Amino acid sequence: MQKQYRLLYDENLCIGCQACSIACRVENSVPDEVYRVQVHMQTMGIFPNLGMHYERLSCVMCENPPCVSVCPTNASFQSKDGLVHIDEKSCISCKYCILACPYHARFINPLKNVVEKCTFCYETRVSKELSPACVSICPTDALTFGDMRQSNSLVYQKSHKEVLLFPKAHLGTKPKVAFIPNRKGAKS
Amino acid sequence: MAYFQARRDFLKLATTGASATVVIPGSLGALGDVALRGEDKFIRSICEMCSSRCPMEARVVNGKTVLIQGNAFAKEMGTSLCAKGVAGASQLYDSQRLVKPLIRTGKRGENKWREASWDEALSLISTKLSALKERYGARSVIFSAKTGEQYDLLRSFASAFGSPNFENSTYILNFGHNLFEGLDIPLTKAMAHFSADPSKKLVVFDPRFSVMASKANEWHPIKAGSDLAFVLALLHVWIRDGKFDKKFIEQYTLGFDKLVESVKETTPQWQQSLTGIDAKVVERIAAEIYTSAPRCIIDWGHKATTTKAEFQRTRAILMANILMGNVEKEGGIYFAKTAERINALADERVAPELNDPYPRPRVNEPRIDGAGEEGMYRFVSRSHGVLQAIPDAILAQKPYEIKGWFLTRHNPLVTVAHPQKMKEAMEQLEFIVVNDVYLSDTAMMADVVLPEATYLERDEGISKSAFKTPTYMMRNRIVAPMHHTKSLIEVMRDLAERMGFGSHYAWKSIAELRAFQAKGDAELLQTLLMRGVASFDVPPLLALQPSSVERFCERYPKSSVLRDTQGVFSHFLRSLKTPSKKIEIFSAEVEKTFKGYGVPRSVDMDVTQGHPYVLTSGKSAVHTNGHTQNIPYLNMLLSTNPIWMHPSTAKAHGLKMGDTFYLQNAISKEKATVFITEGIRPDTLFAYMGFGRDAPQLKRTHGKGTNPSKLLSLESATLCGAMITNVGVTIVKA
Amino acid sequence: MSPMWGSVEQYSTIHWSWAIAIYLFLAGLSSGSIIVALLVKWNRHERSNSSIWDAMIKAGSVVAPTAIFLGLLLLVVDLGRPLSFYWLLIRYNITSVMSLGVLFLLIYTPIVVVFMLLVFERSVIKHPFLAPLEGLINLVKSFHSYAKIIEYFLFAAALCVGSYTGFLLSVLYAIPLWNSPLLPILFLTSSLSSGVAVNILIGLLFFKSTINTESIKYLLVLDTRVILTELPLLGLFFIGLFYAGGDAPSAAKAALTEGFWAGIFWLGVIGVGLGLPLLTVIVALRSHVYRVGYIVINSMVVILGVLMLRYYIIYAGQIYLG
Repeated sequence: MQKQYRLLYDENLCIGCQACSIACRVENSVPDEVYRVQVHMQTMGIFPNLGMHYERLSCVMCENPPCVSVCPTNASFQSKDGLVHIDEKSCISCKYCILACPYHARFINPLKNVVEKCTFCYETRVSKELSPACVSICPTDALTFGDMRQSNSLVYQKSHKEVLLFPKAHLGTKPKVAFIPNRKGAKS
Repeated sequence: MAYFQARRDFLKLATTGASATVVIPGSLGALGDVALRGEDKFIRSICEMCSSRCPMEARVVNGKTVLIQGNAFAKEMGTSLCAKGVAGASQLYDSQRLVKPLIRTGKRGENKWREASWDEALSLISTKLSALKERYGARSVIFSAKTGEQYDLLRSFASAFGSPNFENSTYILNFGHNLFEGLDIPLTKAMAHFSADPSKKLVVFDPRFSVMASKANEWHPIKAGSDLAFVLALLHVWIRDGKFDKKFIEQYTLGFDKLVESVKETTPQWQQSLTGIDAKVVERIAAEIYTSAPRCIIDWGHKATTTKAEFQRTRAILMANILMGNVEKEGGIYFAKTAERINALADERVAPELNDPYPRPRVNEPRIDGAGEEGMYRFVSRSHGVLQAIPDAILAQKPYEIKGWFLTRHNPLVTVAHPQKMKEAMEQLEFIVVNDVYLSDTAMMADVVLPEATYLERDEGISKSAFKTPTYMMRNRIVAPMHHTKSLIEVMRDLAERMGFGSHYAWKSIAELRAFQAKGDAELLQTLLMRGVASFDVPPLLALQPSSVERFCERYPKSSVLRDTQGVFSHFLRSLKTPSKKIEIFSAEVEKTFKGYGVPRSVDMDVTQGHPYVLTSGKSAVHTNGHTQNIPYLNMLLSTNPIWMHPSTAKAHGLKMGDTFYLQNAISKEKATVFITEGIRPDTLFAYMGFGRDAPQLKRTHGKGTNPSKLLSLESATLCGAMITNVGVTIVKA
Repeated sequence: MSPMWGSVEQYSTIHWSWAIAIYLFLAGLSSGSIIVALLVKWNRHERSNSSIWDAMIKAGSVVAPTAIFLGLLLLVVDLGRPLSFYWLLIRYNITSVMSLGVLFLLIYTPIVVVFMLLVFERSVIKHPFLAPLEGLINLVKSFHSYAKIIEYFLFAAALCVGSYTGFLLSVLYAIPLWNSPLLPILFLTSSLSSGVAVNILIGLLFFKSTINTESIKYLLVLDTRVILTELPLLGLFFIGLFYAGGDAPSAAKAALTEGFWAGIFWLGVIGVGLGLPLLTVIVALRSHVYRVGYIVINSMVVILGVLMLRYYIIYAGQIYLG
């Protein structure tokens, strides 16, 4: 049975603590000074009418992934579950996919000289029915992960309850990561 | 935490020779070696990257720890853990960690060392300590550890009140208790769900737009140090309008009339100029809270600023809660339900109670920091110290001669006020031992530095952690100690043997210690080994909530006799540890020693000392106050601390983003760089703690950022001894 | 909020740098020079003896293979893992312009070599140290009957190579400055421009004996037309960006007004690359002066301008994201 994964990022719950970033680094042995995931915070507004914008930067696992269509060696590919992965062996590190990604999710692993990005921890966790490390670790339950084909899953229920936004939806990439926008504070 | 106390009494034990019989009830053999090592794939233990001590779980593959996450056997944790906790492995495998004992070869603080064997280091320590004891008495050596660090005393005062119950509350007033940057997973998570819930209201008071403030429905950039004024005005409004829980005040408290008198003048208008908050806001918030009472919490937890009136501030906040009658009610605040309390209420053994594993001779020595003694720090709990009192004690050699200091894993030269003076005091000492993972600023002052095993390499005894129900936790070793590191317990036990009083201990190894603590309860030990935490199937009890009491009585029928006519355990609030056994709004005992402090009152709120700006400091979510800055993964996230400054302030001083300038006051002049942000009051500056280090061995942090402690005075908050963590400064252009 | 999420360098890294800019330039130069050579051959050479090659054709036939080999070498060396380049040859992805480019180059490069050998057939045989190539020459000779077809094929392949570099960039909608349908045409026209210039330059320097002033004149007129096409194309390119959605307008604005690369655009691409040659060509044509030094400098300026256009597009595209 194929999966229809979704990762929900609730800006209202996120506190920008970077636990996800460290968990990702530890789980995936991400080399120093490069990141598969970061959460950025930006203060909006003029004192004392302020707000904070929280943004999660990582691969959004597009259904129409530009990185896959531009890859000359098919090293970037989409699995049958719709996840985008990189075959390290056939990646020639031409960096075309890095430039093609509108989400800045890809980077060069300086130790291996291949392109790298978030995998939803597929190999080490998701394929074993565990949540991705970032989801598991999140101190405030800001991340929800699961299969949208299962109507009893938390991710399904939350998706149907909340207003969801998909990052850069106008590009037609159809991300599997959605976010629930901030409800409080100044927005600009 | 208990074993930290053991250290304090360690040398006294050698002097008084209190006897302790070695009794090991229960059989260790039943548990066996496997049980002592836990499962081989997942090992559950307790985090120690900060002092919150969250239950955690480590996945171990081929003897190397992989991902560390929250221990889901602790329900309120789930698998959550913060960045520091997850980075535990980064400390464990850090190439800059200490691996061998070091003995000083140069002058004190000169950073010249030679490596030594454990045997040599420990025998040197035992010889020196014995000599000091011989010459000056056992009390001439101080023992201190991380838990005593940064202790803000009111926590111990308030700790009697247990915890706020965020989940069921509807309205929370938060005075800079920044749970989103000083993380404590269970509380942080509960607060996150509270603030994200559109049906609840969170109001935050903080001079800085903290992460907590960004999650609030309302943020009030209150002037630094003026929390007390706002709360007094709240109390004023409630009392003026008769809007408070009169029944609760009458039934469970004493001295309300004194409060009425002390807040007579503290009107909303009065507080305006002190807090910078409009009088109408006070009126509105007072009305809103009263409407939601008792499902409301006025949070007294860790604050954004500390004044000399810290005791008054926190006590005033507690009084605000009491006026709202939210004690031991759903959505309010409650007392920790320890095994002892629950067993007494249930009148049966619901949860096991523990043995105290440390010989604890009753010695009536005054403590040098005065904690728990008559005098300045009369009300500081004895299990916590007042670190900023130590330099004066050493320099003045009062109340008695101090010649030695044994420090474990804490770094007062970074985290405590006025480290310049601390250093001066340390130079006076004859013998200093530092037991730490890193060659920190403080370790550089030592005669002997012991490389400590990190918490991931240590087995420890059982510790208590009671919230709504009793819970026990246990630190279990995740990986074998790397290099040649040892745990503090091993070191202390070894020293006891060398100094000839090993027989006073009821245990030789950690396994024996645990068995002794658990009174041989093999099931409890097994649970703690396998799960890291042990909780008991006790219905959460709120003594003044009839439905909760009813459930409790159904489960434990013998407790019904304690239920009063209103269906609650009212005696619970009439058997407190105060002289009158009730909640004392006015404390005669306090008033006797500290005139004007017996009841909340407007005093000592100035934090500027005549300077135009207040420098405040606080945590980021990725660092503690002083320990984590050099840990590779965490250093990568935040490696310096530019000072937060409002654009108008920066403009007034001609400063641009990243410019260098000086912070100056009577105590020091410190170099800093500027970070310009709308998120701070124009009269306030802010720095993340733990930077501005002088330890060359900490290569990643050496010389980066500013240490705000260097500008702080050694003056402590009246009565409670809390460190005053903010100070008036002037901006001087570089 | 002061940053506490670590380095953000990876989001602003220049992934395609000078090597790619030069590759794009060399691929354009190669295709441009061969297209120009073929145009000269077809338009200016029909009645002359086909064995006496015009200097322009000689120049093109030498420049095209040299430039493409240098370019490909640069391209492979610039890969993060140069030794794994063979994957490009054994796996294809038809949706990837890079993959299509590999296919075009696989067709183009050998034909360019064959064309060169056809042009230099005699000189190759004359030189004893090139004797080992004789077998190859004989093989090439057997192509003589297909020469015209090869030329047409080569022309088509050169058009593909000249424009694919534009498509390579323009399909990336993540980069607003590149994501323009005009980019391939712009690259193709500037390739032609550089082809004209390089052929004149090499022809004047190395094949002086076979110079045909008529050809040069023809080329200078052609170049003027190309430049006159290129200028409005550049205008349209930016106008298109200003009217595109998303980040394109702010990226275009920044690329024209901010920092070093805006300077390169106005001074280098427009001023040196298009303005100067236009001016000189017009002056030269009007006064019928074909002084060699004049033309050499003019050609160098054109080539420099084309190179700077590639540099500008490559860098500004990655820097100004809107």
